[in-house]
Formats: sequence, structure tokens, C-alpha cells
Amino acid sequence: MELIEAILEEGIRRCDEVEVFGTNGTSLSLTLKGGILHSAELSRSWGVGIRTIEKGKIGFSSTSDPGRWRECLKAACESGTAATHQEWKGLPGPVEYPLRAPTHDPSLFPNLDPAQLLADALLEGAGEHPVTITGGSVDLSRGTIILANSRGVRYTAPRTLASISLEAIHGTSTGYEFDASVFMELDARAVGEQAAFLASHCDGGYDISTGDYDLVLSPIAVAQLLGHAVVPALSGRNVHAGRSRLSGELGKQCLDEGLSLYDDPFARGTGATDWDGEGVLARRIPFVNDGVLERFAYDLKTASRYGTESTASAVRSGYGGAPAIGVHNLVVDGERTGVFDDKALFVHDIVGAHTANPLTGDFSVELSNAYWIEGGIPGTPVRKAMYAGNIFEAFRSIGGLGKESRVVGSAILPPVRLNKQRIIGK
Amino acid sequence: MQGIRYYDLRQVRGYGTRIDIDNGAVEEAGTSFFDDTVIRALGPKGWGVVTMDSFVPDAPTSIENAIAEAAPLTAVTHEDILLAGVPGPVRAVPALREDPAVIHLDEKIDLLHGIERAARVPEVGNTRATYLERKETVRFMDSSGIDISYDVTRCGFSVMAVAVRQGRMQMGRESRHTISGFNLRHQEGMGEKAGRTAVALLDAVPARGKRMNVVLDQELGGVFAHEAVGHASEGDLIKEGNSVLRGKIGETIGNRDLTIIDDPTLPEFGFEPLDAEGMAVHRTEVIQGGKVHAYLHNRETAPVVGNGEPGNARAMAGSIPQVRMSNTFIENGDIAFEELLEVCGTGILLKGSRGGQVDPGRGVFLFNAEYGYLIENGECTTMVRDVSLSGEILSTLHDIELIGNDRLMYEGFCGKGGQSVPVSDGAPHLLLRHAVVGGSGTD
Repeated sequence: MELIEAILEEGIRRCDEVEVFGTNGTSLSLTLKGGILHSAELSRSWGVGIRTIEKGKIGFSSTSDPGRWRECLKAACESGTAATHQEWKGLPGPVEYPLRAPTHDPSLFPNLDPAQLLADALLEGAGEHPVTITGGSVDLSRGTIILANSRGVRYTAPRTLASISLEAIHGTSTGYEFDASVFMELDARAVGEQAAFLASHCDGGYDISTGDYDLVLSPIAVAQLLGHAVVPALSGRNVHAGRSRLSGELGKQCLDEGLSLYDDPFARGTGATDWDGEGVLARRIPFVNDGVLERFAYDLKTASRYGTESTASAVRSGYGGAPAIGVHNLVVDGERTGVFDDKALFVHDIVGAHTANPLTGDFSVELSNAYWIEGGIPGTPVRKAMYAGNIFEAFRSIGGLGKESRVVGSAILPPVRLNKQRIIGK
Repeated sequence: MQGIRYYDLRQVRGYGTRIDIDNGAVEEAGTSFFDDTVIRALGPKGWGVVTMDSFVPDAPTSIENAIAEAAPLTAVTHEDILLAGVPGPVRAVPALREDPAVIHLDEKIDLLHGIERAARVPEVGNTRATYLERKETVRFMDSSGIDISYDVTRCGFSVMAVAVRQGRMQMGRESRHTISGFNLRHQEGMGEKAGRTAVALLDAVPARGKRMNVVLDQELGGVFAHEAVGHASEGDLIKEGNSVLRGKIGETIGNRDLTIIDDPTLPEFGFEPLDAEGMAVHRTEVIQGGKVHAYLHNRETAPVVGNGEPGNARAMAGSIPQVRMSNTFIENGDIAFEELLEVCGTGILLKGSRGGQVDPGRGVFLFNAEYGYLIENGECTTMVRDVSLSGEILSTLHDIELIGNDRLMYEGFCGKGGQSVPVSDGAPHLLLRHAVVGGSGTD
């Protein structure tokens, strides 16, 4: 904190306002290759991102070297000089806030013993099915983030994260499963078992004819499609820049009336936080309520520019990234039904979601670990097929949300049933 | 250093400059600094690794202290590891035609503004241009006493235009990145091209998903080589049993005129003067005359898997090396583009890349074109949008019927294991028979 105070003190001599975002932490990572622990990595990181504001011109720089902070501050000021002037209502001042967001687990430490136990459990779970393990990982991290500014904000938050993954193969059928949590609560055995089940169950799949089918997309598949097309469309910056399909749709029915989409920074997800990347107190943002578009996401910069309030939606990609509009915990919610009761093609994952058109939501992707399911019972696997459509259109009329939600990246969401979707097969 | 058989250290220091111009406003124009070090210590069975910021290798006992921290980590690792080869020598980094470091930020902004403005053709409602510049000073040291340093500077830009008409919205995008020096001058044409593509796509129809004859342009042909063959030839995936190309050396898997090469020595965006384990880099013919000829390797995978030499270990600053591609391409054939279209007859021409992905163990890949044209009677007709192509590695290479004579290289970034590294891909125009094309269009 002494260094951060020094940066703020020096910075305020040069600019109207200064902000420092700092991270420091330690992580331990175990890597499995072919079912054997191949490497163990201890990583220590420290870094600061400095933002300066001078007469509505915003500058940014970052460094991982405490000895270069003066150079970094100078670069931030120069960066501000080059930026275009914009309306700016100022950085937030300090406020008292209740600790609501689950950001850390006091019992989670980046130590070898708990990491090894998780790795052993992954392998044990995978042993339930006749597969070859091709890879896997265990990561435990613990650190602190600091947000301080020249208006007097001095916020710190401890952070912990545990994440695990396993990859397996059976013949030419692959399976991949993962999980992550702020808490030391991961069921590594179940993750290993699921990866192995997917590889084993989907071996020897059958071809499918081109046509329209009823699908159930897993939370993983839904998160990928939403993340590449819908989340960018909710950004206030994209809306005002004319890059969002949802522009002009506020107050209108844009998704199925059984579907709500909100950011809940206090939910038990990996993006939980009490304040956003600019020190604005986090709050629940109802983007879509019962299918009706209600809000867009704003950070301070975009809100100042367009005469609205920040929704505390600034996120940071570590110390090296300037704040940008994003989501903390994107929750997909609505009435839950038995989406697996009636026969459908279950799609565990998709290949190529990042190739979706981020403007229009049009996509055509390859199915991964797809199999028929009825009454909750996994049936015949499909060997190879593509799925094409438009994510906004698909979510205008859904067949239901499943009962169990899971955390996938910065989203918390259930499986979603989508009827009459276009599959390109043999 | 008890029990430590070998160690190496890779330090990457430098700066990155980023300029972001959105609808004429300079949103960001700044420089940041990084200094990341990875120290790997090889124990009796497996690696212990320590990663740190702002490490000073020359400080007394600093390396010894780091290894003392890495060594106990090997208590939990169990893999028998043999390392092939010895580090060095380093290749000369091609000289910069114009060093971007000496050009003032204001001039870079002005030039990028010019490219962004050029994208504002009628019906374009939003334009955005981004410039990236990154200079890395890399130092590689190991327990044999090797101590090598080199500098490499990469820079480039992308420009995007969004066209809007009656509620419809489409996007055009162009980008160019290089290791040859500053490249923002005289590039307004790229901006205009992005704008015109966005406008043209407003009238394009969605592609209809089905099997059809496909002509891939040079950029998509490169992505095809990268996704369909490159990843599956990576020695770590072969070793772990996660590639359909495992055990296929000598087998014919494609057209007998098909040769696919990875070459980090070329002065393209994926150039490396030395790999991330300190090994000399070299050209590898992955597919030769339609047969699997060699794999890409690091020091660990080469002795276990064989059929190739180490030299393809690459790493993002502060990350552990992985087996990666560099500059990957399909060699020229001898067919002119016009002839290729004529032989195609009826089908689709796919142009530009919106990215791709592969599941190498399953042997299935997918990539997406920025746009395309229907081919009727050997001529390009209606423009189509949102079209992708998927296939199975072991059968699709047989579907390549003709190979053009007009190879070009394109730059990009490739992700694997959470790391993104600069690469280039390229190919001549290619004709594929009966490929699976995906799109949401219907009859």
C-alpha cells in the first residue's frame, strides 16, 4: 500500500485524478499429461495498472516491476494526452459497504497437499470408465486486489480460486470436463468421472441426417453462445457505437418470456465482487426480465459520455488491462422444468463458438459430445454434426430451462432446451 | 540443487503499446511494461517450475534460490522425462524496415486515424481500428552455461467497419501484423476494404448448410492447414494419445500433391530466432506428398515420439513452453485460380477467416469464413455470409482435388492451453469436393 500511496501522491501532482489497481498473489498449478503428474508450478505475481484523468482525457499504463512505477505513471499521463477528450463525471469517492460477495475461502491455500488430493480424485473418478486420460490440471490461487484513487478510495479484497479439469479419450471419442470455485468445494472425482463418461459414452457414434431437431444445450454450450454474441450486445459502449443488435430494444420483448438474464455480483460464482474495476459499488443488474430488455451495462467512461450512471460493470483482465465493460456473474434464470423428460439431442459442448458473428448472433458450429437423451437417460451418441442458427432467434422461444445451474466461467446457468433447431449431418 | 538434473530460465521483458480508435475517438493510446521469468527445474521425475515478475538473474544466488524453491515441487511429479538436443544457436532476427519504437505516438495515432476514416464508406455506421506493438527482450539461460539474448518487435493493426441498413447489421474486418517493422503507412486501402465488405454483406444471403464443392481462398486454406493438420501434428498431443495422427507416419492421408510445412525460420509473424527451450528452429514437412512425414516437437516429445526434431517449443511471456506451430502453410501446386473455379463447376468460394478450432483427438475441425460467393458454372455469383466448414482430418485431406499456385500468408494469434502466440498461416487456393458446409440458410 505504501507504493500505491506514493503513486497517488505523485500522480495527483500531474493530473486531475489518479487511480491505481493492484494485484498480488500466489498460485500453484499441477499439470497432468497422459494421466501422470508432469509438472508443478508455483507462480508469484505482482502488478499495478495506473489510470490518470486530466480534463476529460483518460490515460492508462501498467507494470509488473515495482521499480518502474514512475516510468509507468509517466506513460499513463502521456497516454492521456493522446486520448480524445470526453465528458467525465469523476472517479467515485469512498463509501462504506457491507461485505456481501463471496470472494475468498480462508481455508484455500496454494499448497501441494490439497492440490495433489484434487489430482488424485480426478484420476480416481476417471477410473470409473474404460478411457485413456490425456491431460488435466489443478490450480489453486490466493491473492489480493487493491483499488485506490485520489478521491480517497482504498478498497482491498482477498481472492481465492480453485479450478480443475480433465481430458480423456476412448478410441477417437474425447471428453473434457472442468469446474472452478472461489471455495475449496470442488468435487474432483465427479469431474474426472464425467470427462471419462463423455469420452466412453460417445465412442462409436451414429450419423444423423440434416434436419430440424429438439436440442438440450448444456450450460457449457449455452455459456459459449451467450458469451460470444449476447454479452457483447448488452455493453452500453457497443449499444451507443451502433454495434449491438439490442440497440433500440429497451422495454421490448427480446428473449423468451420464460428467460431472465441478470448480473449478480453477490452470487456464489467466480466473478463475485463488492465493487467493480473502478471502485463503484457492485449491484444486481437486471438485463432481461421475463424476456424484456431492461438495462445495458455501463462503466464510468461510457456512462459519463452518454449521460447515464455506471452500473458498476467495469471489469479488469488483471492489472495490465484498463477497465472495460463486462459482467461479474451472468445468471440465466427463469422457471425450471424437466428439460430431459422428452426425447432430445443433448449437446454437451460445441466446437468453434468463437467464430459466431458477434454483431448478428449468427453461428454455425460443430457439436461435441452430443447424444440422444430421454427421461434423463443418456442414449445413442451422434458421431459428427453441425448446428447452425441465430442465438437471439433461438432464445426468443425456448423449450425450457433445466433444474440444475452450474458455474461456467463468469456465468451461472442451467441447461436450455431449444426445439426445432437446424442440424447439418450426413 | 539436490535431485535437479537440469534447469533453464526464460525471461521476457519489454513493453506493449496499444491504440484503440472507436468512431473517430482515441479511446486508448498507451504503453505498458512487463518483465516475466519462468524457471524450470527438472527433478528425478517431472518438472518443478517457478514463475516470477521482475526477477534479476544476475543478482547473487537469485537463480539458486529460485531452484531451491522449484525443487520441492518435483516431489509430487512422476513422469520420466528425457530431453533431446542441446540449446542454440540463435538465428538472426530480420532487421526492421522502420523501427516503430522511434516513431512518436501522435504519428501512429494519425496514421491509424487515416485507416479508420477510410473504412467510413456510405452506409457504414461504426468504425474501429486498433494498433498493437510489442517489443520483447528474451533471455534464455540453462544449467549447461548457455546464456542467449535477442530482441524481437511485432506490430500491426486491425480495422473493422459495421454497416447498417433498415435494422440489418454486418461487419467487415481487415488486419495485418508483421515482424518486419512499422506497417501503418499507406494502409488506407485496408480500411476501405473493410468498409466495402461490411456494406456488401448487407445484401448477402445466409449460406445453406449441406455437402458441396468448396474453394478456399489463401487465408482460409491457411486456417485449414493450421486446424486440420497443424494441431494434430503437435508432439505433446501425439505423446498423450490425443491426436488422430498418432501412429500415422508414412500413411497417405490426403491428395498426393499435398505438402504442409511449419517453418519458424521464415520472416513471417510466427518467426522465432530460438525456441522457448533454447533450441534452434527449423523447417518441418508435416505432410509430404499426401503422407504424414513428421511431427512438431519440443525436447521432451522428440525422444518419446520420434519422427521429428525439437525446435517448436513456444511460450507466452511468463508461461511454460508448449509444442506450437509457427508459420504453417500448404505448398503451392500448379493450378491457376480461374481453372480451379472452372473445375469446381457448382459450389461455394469461401473467403477470409473468422477463426477455427479443432478437437485433435476426435479428429474433427471447424473454421468459419468471413463471407463467400456461390459458384455457378465456374463463376462467382451471389454473396453469402455466416458460413463455416467442418470436417474429419483423416478424410477431408483426401477431398482436396486441386491445389492452386498462388499462396499467400496471413497473420494471427493461436490459442492453446491458455496461451496465445503469434502465428502465420497460408495456402494457395484449394478445391475440396463434397465438403460439409454449415449455415443457417434454408431452401
